Amino acid sequence: MTKPIIEVKDLAKNFGDNQVLKNISEQVNPGQVIVVIGPSGGGKSTFLRCLNLLETPTSGEVDFDGQDLTTLDTKKVNTLREQMGMVFQNFNLFPNMTVLENIKLAPMKVKGVSDADATKRAHELLQQVNLDDHADAFPTSLSGGQAQRVAIARALAMDPKVMLFDEPTSALDPEMVGEVLNVMQDLAQQGMTMVVVTHEMGFAKSVADRVWFMADGYIQENNTPEEFFSNPQTERAQDFLSKILM
Amino acid sequence: MKNKLIMAIALVMALVAGWTTTTTTAQAATDDSLAKVQKKGTLVMGTSPDYPPYEFQATVHGKSQVVGMDVAVGKKIAKDMGVKLVVKSMSFDSLLVALQTGKVDMVISGMNPTPARRKNVDFTHTYYQGGYSIVINKNDKGIYKDKNSFVGKTIGAQTGSTMYNESKKQTTGTTVKGMTSVSDLILGLQSHKLQGVAMEKPSAQAYVANNKELAMIPSKFDLSASDTSASVAFAKGSTALVTAANKSVDQIRKQNLVNKDYLPAAGKYLKTNTVNTSMLHYWKAFLKGIEYTLIITVCSVFFGFILGVLLSLARMAKGGVFATALRWLATAYVEFIRGTPMMVQVMFVYFGLGLIVNLPALTSGIIAISLNSGAYIAEYIRGGINSVDKGQTEAARSLGMTSGYTLRYVVLPQAIKNIWPSLGNEFITLIKDSSIVSIIGVSELIFQSNIVRSDTYRGVAPIAVIMVLYFIMTFTASRILNHFERKMQHD
Ligand SMILES: Nc1ncnc2c1ncn2[C@@H]1O[C@H](COP(=O)(O)OP(=O)(O)OP(=O)(O)O)[C@@H](O)[C@H]1O
Ligand SMILES: [Mg+2]
Repeated sequence: MTKPIIEVKDLAKNFGDNQVLKNISEQVNPGQVIVVIGPSGGGKSTFLRCLNLLETPTSGEVDFDGQDLTTLDTKKVNTLREQMGMVFQNFNLFPNMTVLENIKLAPMKVKGVSDADATKRAHELLQQVNLDDHADAFPTSLSGGQAQRVAIARALAMDPKVMLFDEPTSALDPEMVGEVLNVMQDLAQQGMTMVVVTHEMGFAKSVADRVWFMADGYIQENNTPEEFFSNPQTERAQDFLSKILM
Repeated sequence: MKNKLIMAIALVMALVAGWTTTTTTAQAATDDSLAKVQKKGTLVMGTSPDYPPYEFQATVHGKSQVVGMDVAVGKKIAKDMGVKLVVKSMSFDSLLVALQTGKVDMVISGMNPTPARRKNVDFTHTYYQGGYSIVINKNDKGIYKDKNSFVGKTIGAQTGSTMYNESKKQTTGTTVKGMTSVSDLILGLQSHKLQGVAMEKPSAQAYVANNKELAMIPSKFDLSASDTSASVAFAKGSTALVTAANKSVDQIRKQNLVNKDYLPAAGKYLKTNTVNTSMLHYWKAFLKGIEYTLIITVCSVFFGFILGVLLSLARMAKGGVFATALRWLATAYVEFIRGTPMMVQVMFVYFGLGLIVNLPALTSGIIAISLNSGAYIAEYIRGGINSVDKGQTEAARSLGMTSGYTLRYVVLPQAIKNIWPSLGNEFITLIKDSSIVSIIGVSELIFQSNIVRSDTYRGVAPIAVIMVLYFIMTFTASRILNHFERKMQHD
């Protein structure tokens, strides 16, 4: 058996009196693509943000590469975050920098990569997401699909071991969803470990290794996509699927 | 108003200095005040130079300096002690506080040794016995005869002066208006806001002699000799200095030096002074004012910005007990500074801090305004930082950047765009508000214009000049700032 790259043990998160995550224990193996689906407000974003400690768990463990992140000091957390790229619904590109500068910033400031090396790598990544001709553009001049692809390239520039996606296509016009999903699919095929929160059921069916169905602060169901979509085990999941597949 | 503020400050100062005072009284027997002055070789005299012929600004050999009979008295006292006289100008209101806080060694400013003042400072014998007159517009000469003719009218007097208190006490049905400087009062008279101005006789004579539109009438105030006499004030308990000064004062009285030498000499300055009263003639004075105003503004914005960055970071500190304490302190500071008048802060730094370290007025002014400005700038910065989308921080942190790098490379560059316009406004506001330091005698533009006014006896022209000068400065500054703002919006 391979060692899991992420292992979550008894993870719980409260916002005040609001118990958003209630005791989650799951694991992600290297190279796996996990798709997390579930109703709005179910705690998917919170869960994802607990994985790279953007949110501090109230209790429980998040083990990354065998290390419990919740016990580390800030400095170590920073170095471990480098290894988990994150892509947000709203891209969060830095508007005061060009596309190229967006990608080069973290490798140069955090890893101390030279300008020349960072530039070279940035161009490679831009080619990978089909945007090398936009290297000197500012984010405001990009379409949503282009911006999200730059955001993916920016996260990849740190050479992460895992990529976390929080509804990467939810803010996009429908005609741009495909170009982003294609990039993600390529990434999965290259063997990247990915945890993806999405409502794109087609992507879940064709790319995911496992589907986690999350509602009311629990992972209600952990299944293969085939099983999950054709034969959901829990009533909560059946209910959810009947609503979105109509 | 201003007077009350000063009293409040003096009270705080008295409390702060409580122990100092008690120790000095206890040591009165072995008073070393004279020895101290002789050791440092200078005797610092505080005065409010807008009261000719007692003291006023005149251009001597192309340089503006304080002259008048009080300066002559001060020179004699210093000479008899074997030290050099240094003259320090400030508003009349601030004089006694300056004496109590050790900013000056003595005060000679046509001051009456009233019982109230005697409680706080020690006086020498009288060096000059004056009387009061009321200055009126020449056209009104038939209408007003003495203090009792002003029923239903308004007369003015210098705030904090004996004339002001006596005018209030000894008139009925007359409004008494106080202003800080006599030149303002004369301006008020000429613009018919006031029908008369009560002042000491020699001053009245000087004004009437130099302005053909003015006339003087006897005041007929009922006053004891001590109310119309002028004495030199020293800090409470400095017996040795008072004894030494009394020797000089007695000589002055015996040889009638004031009437024989000092007043005629002062009169000469007054004459030369009125020869050329064109504003152009005073360009150097105005230029100096602009220079100081800009120095104060630029320094204060610079230090205020640094303080503001630190304060805003402290206010946003997150974490343990230390961070909470820091946040609480910074918040308290900002609230306190924003909740007290800048004028009080300026006086507190100058006089209050003066108890511990002796800071020059300009430095005190810059410190006070920086401290004030820092609180406001902190809020602009905090607002600017908060206006940057939270997603920006999350993206940077998710890339492994530390909170420091995130702030420096991602948040601040974006925040600056929002902060810049407010910072520019603060700069322009400070060009104007820095005028407050004139009360502690820094020669910025307002202070300089007051000098020119008392120098030339022209009330409005200097005000018009500085109004234009202020506008040129603020307008130029706002153009320059706008240019940068536009440049920043481009990228
Ligand atoms: N910073 C926060 N402070 C307080 N409550 C929060 C915070 N973040 C999330 N919540 C609450 O936690 C619950 C779960 O939110 P979360 O964003 O994780 O859900 P989600 O499954 O991602 O939903 P969506 O599909 O709408 O994105 C919600 O009730 C939300 O209001
Ligand atoms: Mg969400």
